Amino acid sequence: MSKSIQFKGYALVDPSNWSDLQVREFKPKNFEPEDVEIAITHCGVCGSDLHTVTQGWGESKLPLVVGHEIVGTVTRVGDKVSEFKPGDRVGVGAQIGSCLSCKRCKMDYENYCQESIETYNGEYPDGVVTQGGYSTAIRAHERFVFPIPDKIESRDAASMLCAGLTVFSPLKTYGAGPGKTVGIMGIGGLGHYAVLFAKALGAEVYAFTHDATKVNDIKKMGADHVINTSENKDFHKDLSGQLDIIISTRDTYSPQTPLGDYLSMLFVHGKFISVGIPNADNPLPQIHPFDLMPNGALIGGSHIGSKKECLEMLRVAAEKGVKPWIEELPMKEAGTALRNLHDNKVRYRYVLSQDLA
Amino acid sequence: MTSTLLRAYIISCVGDLWSSKTPLPFAPKIPLAPTNHRFSCGMATKAVQFKGYALTDPSKWNDLQVIEFTPKVFEPEDVEIAITHCGVCGSDVHTLTQGWGESKLPLVVGHEIVGTVTRVGDKVTEFKIGDRVGVGAQRGSCLQCRECKDDYENYCPRSINTYNSQYPDGVVAQGGYSTAIRVHERFTLPIPDEIESRHAASMMCAGLTVYSPLKTHGAGPGKKVGIMGIGGLGHYAILWAKAMGAEVYAFTHDESKVEDIKKMGADHVVNTSDKEFHKDLARTLDILLSTRDVFGDSTPLGDYLSMLYVHGRFVTVGIPDADDTLPPLHAFDLVPNGCLMGGSKIGSKKECLEMLELARSKSIKPWIEELPMREVGKALRNLKNNAVRYRYVVKQDIA
Repeated sequence: MSKSIQFKGYALVDPSNWSDLQVREFKPKNFEPEDVEIAITHCGVCGSDLHTVTQGWGESKLPLVVGHEIVGTVTRVGDKVSEFKPGDRVGVGAQIGSCLSCKRCKMDYENYCQESIETYNGEYPDGVVTQGGYSTAIRAHERFVFPIPDKIESRDAASMLCAGLTVFSPLKTYGAGPGKTVGIMGIGGLGHYAVLFAKALGAEVYAFTHDATKVNDIKKMGADHVINTSENKDFHKDLSGQLDIIISTRDTYSPQTPLGDYLSMLFVHGKFISVGIPNADNPLPQIHPFDLMPNGALIGGSHIGSKKECLEMLRVAAEKGVKPWIEELPMKEAGTALRNLHDNKVRYRYVLSQDLA
Repeated sequence: MTSTLLRAYIISCVGDLWSSKTPLPFAPKIPLAPTNHRFSCGMATKAVQFKGYALTDPSKWNDLQVIEFTPKVFEPEDVEIAITHCGVCGSDVHTLTQGWGESKLPLVVGHEIVGTVTRVGDKVTEFKIGDRVGVGAQRGSCLQCRECKDDYENYCPRSINTYNSQYPDGVVAQGGYSTAIRVHERFTLPIPDEIESRHAASMMCAGLTVYSPLKTHGAGPGKKVGIMGIGGLGHYAILWAKAMGAEVYAFTHDESKVEDIKKMGADHVVNTSDKEFHKDLARTLDILLSTRDVFGDSTPLGDYLSMLYVHGRFVTVGIPDADDTLPPLHAFDLVPNGCLMGGSKIGSKKECLEMLELARSKSIKPWIEELPMREVGKALRNLKNNAVRYRYVVKQDIA
């Protein structure tokens, strides 16, 4: 029997002061036989956290603890848990539940289940609100808990569980690997992981940024080519028909965003995959079929990844020594982290260390 | 942004400067005596006169006048074809009405061509005089780029369209509402004996344009394919998708087509006038092929995309007028099922040969209406008003 855990976290209480998070106790999920309880040590700060607390994605529940890039130690397991035992180092990402019985769940597409439950701002069937990882602890069904390989430190693993997985999934799905050319637009938390993983998978990488101050870092991350899109407005012309996949991490668009120019960089049947999700009132620029004809290109979306993909990502990370570029802060400074993320100041992902318990 | 892309697209079609409005090397005139052709291969056949029904005045877009025109300069890889049949395509309407932009004048359209070979150049290996052949919407490409070498010549950045474009030497490409055409052998298709010319004609564009994405995106046994819009292209999509072994959902707003669609073989027919049509089909389809060439301010794209299974593909082959964009799209529409939305442009010769073999082996016949070529104006008007069931084919009557 281990010391019982108090569930408390840094919560949004007043949306007009979205970076001023207050410590609140909260009611955790009702513990069930398939559940794992985790004492949290680290949590990454994701763009989703920001879109949620600012209410950009819609009205959130209140009070709300966000955070879905969680690493910690198992403190308790239910009777039916077979994968984990107390003391294991594990992680949780952006999804904490699904129906487990539909075609998608059975085909290792549980991230696309229609009854998917999000790690925070969601609700269990019994009405308990899901609270996230800027907190002391979390309970999760073992299907949504990931074992962390010994070779990967907790502070590095944390942000792999949403940022890393969210780009790893489309890279893998659309065939990034030797002989393929991958473009990555926007080199922030997700974008920098896309550079690291695309290289680890063996692809040739073009990184696109509007920020000159990031260029040297991006080369050190391993990108084969770095294109500064604010310096070179015609950047797409030299790359016409060159890329097999583009991963776009942009989470804002204007009606003038030259989506057609980006698409023109794809080879035949190439794919432009958006992992960035803008605010609800921010649609993609208008598209005409003329934009898609010249190369039969496709525009797609992608939603986190499955456990199967996550385990593979962690294996690749361990094998190839993939280390993210993080900045660490104590969890009490979550508000600072969110504000800096809002202003694009992070290089390249914040990870918070739990300091409440 | 869209007008820039439109310009770029037109440039790729034209193969020459958008700004160049050089006078054309001929003027519309009454048919004259036949021009003599000299043959380098030494085989004598009756000389071909190049004449066709042409657009001369865009304000009367379907009132076509017979003109003579200068054909492509004959080269060693070329095949000359005496045209017997030509299908009437939506592209012809969009071009003549100037909906896709200003066209060249005078202009002979038509790119679903079948006829008989009358002459072959010295380097031609695939064809001989008397062969029955077809030509579709593309008549040239660079043949050297990565796309051309990968059997993606339909995506060559220097592709030449069968009409309303220009050869590098300046000769305007004129289409198949005419007596004859000269085409590089790479863009000439052999028609299997078992397929009649009047049936093969519209396979050259309509058939190929839907076959290519069906093949590319995996239509086959175990797959569910939706087809939106059952006209010329849409009806071919049903015929091919069934022949390829897929389960087919046909979507139409036109109740009068439902019986025909069942006879074509569709497993399910959905009437889209019911605004909730997509709800029972959430996350069902692997491929959704849209032939719509009019969107206006209509059903949100998200409703269509919601019918796709995980990583399913919505592919549009219909190309609306330049000012008619797709309905608005938010990233939220693409994320719940990780779906994709794409385009497709005709098909390659490799795909065309596969398609013809499928048609031959399964005895697939399109649903056509035939008219003499002099009545092509009526066909165009009816097509614009959605009155065709399901493709017009006109028979050459000038020579």
